[in-house]
Amino acid sequence: MRVSTQQFYFQNSQQLSNKQTDVNDQVKYLASGKRVLTAKDDAVSYGTLAGYKDSLANIEKYQRNLTQAENRNSLQEVSFADAESVMQELKQLFIQANNGVYSDSDLHSLAELAKNSQQQLLNTANAQDESGDYVFAGYQIDVQPFSLQPDNSVIYQGDGGVRKLQIAKNVMVDINQAGDDAFEKVTNNIGDFSANYNVNTSGISVNKAVIVNPGAHNAVANPPDYNFSFTSATDLTITDSNSVVVFNTNTYAPGQTIAFNGIEVQLNGNPLPGDDFDLTPQENISIFDTIKSAIDWMNVGANPADTTQHSVDYEVILGQLDEALNHMTGRRAESGIRLKLIDNQSSNHLDAELYLSSGRSNIEDLDFAKAVATFEQSKASLQAAQQSFVQIKNLSLFNYL
Amino acid sequence: MTVSLYQTGVSGLLAAQQQLATTGHNISNVNTEGYTRQRAEQNASLGLSNGPNYIGSGTYVQDITRLYDQFSYKEQLLNQSNLGTANNLNGSLNQLNDIMSYSGQAIMNSVDQFYQAVNGVADNPSDLGLRSIVLNQAETLSSDFRSLNQNFDEIEKSINGEIEQVSRKISEISVELAKINETILQTQDLTQAGQPNDLLDKRDQLVTELGQYTKVNTIEDTNGVMTVMIGAGTTLVAGITPLTVRVESGDPDPLQTQLRLVSPHSTVAINGSTLGGSLGGSFEFRDEHLIELRSEINRLAMAISSTLNDSQADGLDLNGQQGANIFTDINTAQLQQGRVLTPTTNAGNLQGQVNITDVSTLPTDEFEVRYNGTDYIMTNMTTNASTNLGAPGSGTYTTSFGFEFIETSGAPANDDSFIIRPTENSAALIKTTLTDGAAIAASSAVEITPSDNNISAGQVTIVDMFDPINAQTAMPIRIDVLESPVGIFNYTITDNLGVTSAPIAYTPPTQAVNLPPLPATASFQIEISGTPSGSAPNAPEQFFIGDAFGLGNNSNIVAMAKTQEQGVINGGKETFSQSLAISTSVVGSKSSSAKLVAETAEALFTQAFNRNQENSGVNLDEEAANLLKFQQAYQAASQIISTANTIFDTILAAVR
Repeated sequence: MRVSTQQFYFQNSQQLSNKQTDVNDQVKYLASGKRVLTAKDDAVSYGTLAGYKDSLANIEKYQRNLTQAENRNSLQEVSFADAESVMQELKQLFIQANNGVYSDSDLHSLAELAKNSQQQLLNTANAQDESGDYVFAGYQIDVQPFSLQPDNSVIYQGDGGVRKLQIAKNVMVDINQAGDDAFEKVTNNIGDFSANYNVNTSGISVNKAVIVNPGAHNAVANPPDYNFSFTSATDLTITDSNSVVVFNTNTYAPGQTIAFNGIEVQLNGNPLPGDDFDLTPQENISIFDTIKSAIDWMNVGANPADTTQHSVDYEVILGQLDEALNHMTGRRAESGIRLKLIDNQSSNHLDAELYLSSGRSNIEDLDFAKAVATFEQSKASLQAAQQSFVQIKNLSLFNYL
Repeated sequence: MTVSLYQTGVSGLLAAQQQLATTGHNISNVNTEGYTRQRAEQNASLGLSNGPNYIGSGTYVQDITRLYDQFSYKEQLLNQSNLGTANNLNGSLNQLNDIMSYSGQAIMNSVDQFYQAVNGVADNPSDLGLRSIVLNQAETLSSDFRSLNQNFDEIEKSINGEIEQVSRKISEISVELAKINETILQTQDLTQAGQPNDLLDKRDQLVTELGQYTKVNTIEDTNGVMTVMIGAGTTLVAGITPLTVRVESGDPDPLQTQLRLVSPHSTVAINGSTLGGSLGGSFEFRDEHLIELRSEINRLAMAISSTLNDSQADGLDLNGQQGANIFTDINTAQLQQGRVLTPTTNAGNLQGQVNITDVSTLPTDEFEVRYNGTDYIMTNMTTNASTNLGAPGSGTYTTSFGFEFIETSGAPANDDSFIIRPTENSAALIKTTLTDGAAIAASSAVEITPSDNNISAGQVTIVDMFDPINAQTAMPIRIDVLESPVGIFNYTITDNLGVTSAPIAYTPPTQAVNLPPLPATASFQIEISGTPSGSAPNAPEQFFIGDAFGLGNNSNIVAMAKTQEQGVINGGKETFSQSLAISTSVVGSKSSSAKLVAETAEALFTQAFNRNQENSGVNLDEEAANLLKFQQAYQAASQIISTANTIFDTILAAVR
């Protein structure tokens, strides 16, 4: 084969430049520590790589949300723990107030103590977060949710809004409990109705008044309130607000379940003739209303006008205080459950992060041992090409002429 | 006798001189591009008849020829063109790959950052600082799009400049070739053997250069005049007449410049994509790869604007107003008109525009709408599938591709056509139009709260929000759903005046309901799903829909944050970052396969070059040996003269 001089130089320079490019590429990979610098370096895996990076960025985002959610729920958990102990104290005060040896002034000071507790609870319910937003105001975070009225009652000015944060692709977690859910919607101890005693000589009380069959409960044809009236110990007539008789018996036995209009009612005690009370629908009783009733009850003093009714009221209020205490515990538990969920999700993310990072690293990161070997190889081959070029270029017949 | 010996010696001297000259010429031209080595063809002179014998009378140089093999030359030429295309594409695609990998990555990061900021607002919806961060990130995102688009513009500009320069070069070569043809025609004497070797080399060299830019075919006639054809057979040089190549603005897109072949009397359009060589590469890159990527990026910008703007419009801002657009509206008049390109050749005066109706079904293809005398026929330029849009005059023509074609003004003439690029300019014109952080619509307008007494798995959810302000004023609304008798569901709507509608049938599993109920204009849409049975006859499942506006309400911004993970593009299959990753990896794989093609083309070219060089290239060692050889021949021929001289002297001495 003839080799022309131009061909010789052309090929040599081409080889040298190719080898130089190789070395240059290797240096680029080595310097960055990555084997995929642009999509071209591994077009097939680039989509997967972008997916890994995307998921990792998402996890970072979720982790911020998790931190936020954890802070918020912890704050609420602490608030509810406070509320719980306040309620505990209040209950003890209330039980103390009923021991019969206290004078009017003692009861009034107990009532003052109870008012302190009420104030404490109010502070908790009006808690603000680090940016001054009210924690228990639903969406109305700029409005103080609970305010005390002159008559010791408390009104709620927030709404039922519950904020959520995304903490995983399909997992949302609540970061607040609306004030009404937290402090207002305490289940009525006796069911769906509250009793209002008109005449109570025997000391009977409503033990349970529940709508057991909502389908059968017709509040349009027979609207509440329902008036219970005993003409004798066994004769009971119940009328609705239109004075239509909805239930009538002359064989009432104490403790018997009275069922009418989808409602079941059970009474404590033995009725006397003339006993008369109304049932008003009330599913929930605000914790503040219960406290107000308790304070009012204490303020009545040592010598109430109607002792029978006074002790019936005591039982009702105590039952409701218990319910409120349970409610607080329930709220606190709910925050705890969310914290648990957050914890679980956190560790899920950590696991996923580990796996995603290693996936990303497998595609993107350079195998240094291999890369250094390749680099050495390219370098050696470039050197060899350079050296042989230098040597061969001296081989010219003209040198010998 | 002696006289002839003198002559023989002189002929040898002369021949050796020519040989030496030729060798010297070869040596001097060892580095001349396109040079073909020459050889002096030496022949023995006819002998003198001397009785029965012929006595040789020396030598002469019959011809100085090029060692030229037209087949290997043509092979080299062909490979040169292929190498031109491959190298050009490789270079351009590599550049595009780099741009996408870095600028694309920047966009991906901005998208991430933007959503991080959106999430920050979801954490703390009333914080004005966090809200303004969202807008800053949105601005970064839109400026990233604009700068990527700027990059594309620069590339397009530089490609167009390259096309312009190359076509000028081609024109120059054409003129040069014609001149050489003319010179050859004048100097060539058919009766003589000799050829203007260096002129031919020069011509071949020009053709080789032409071959880098475009595919070349040549035909040589008996007079040695060469006809040069470029591309798919367009004559560039016809004998001694040069034609030139001119660049003119594209029609309808002025930036898609086109080539025209200019002859003294007329001009003809040349199809750039069939040219081959580096020009063919430029056209392929500009008209296929760049345009495809551009429309993908445009579509992404459009999808982001549209999704976030829609999400904004669903909610209420800090002042209780409906969320305004974060980014430029995707259907501004400027954008709508920019999507329709009207060729200047249209005879009618119809102006059209394109309105985007659904980003998720929008393809990246280009469409042509042609009026065939009765109907508009729309053809997808990628798939060539066509649909009949109907006769002109209807104003708006809906398509199944997420956009509608609108007649703005005028009427078409027969055979008028329009090019539609549905995503055109979206990345170039994306801007963050929102300036006040308080205007981010974090709050939802209304919210559904199911009653605590509900007993079934049925649900009512808000699926679409048309007008949050009106929705808010229509509050509260109550939806009661009851199954009575078994299997038959009915619902009633109780409006904010307490008026309850007559029972309306609900058919599980889902049913959409527009609210507020007729005759009011619907402000939002809810969906009843599952089997909300309630307990018949008196206790339906109740769902209370109420005003939810509040500084602490983050429902809408959470929904906005979720759009990051929602499939929006390509029929709802791809999220924003997936779409970008797909575009980037497509460019990457094009670039890496272009590299392979370039390597193969290089190898093939090297092979052809070698083959040609084997035959035609100068080898210095060989020439050095020839130099010695002819030097010796020269010396020997001198010796002949010297011998003849001695003989002559001997004779003279004998008679003296």
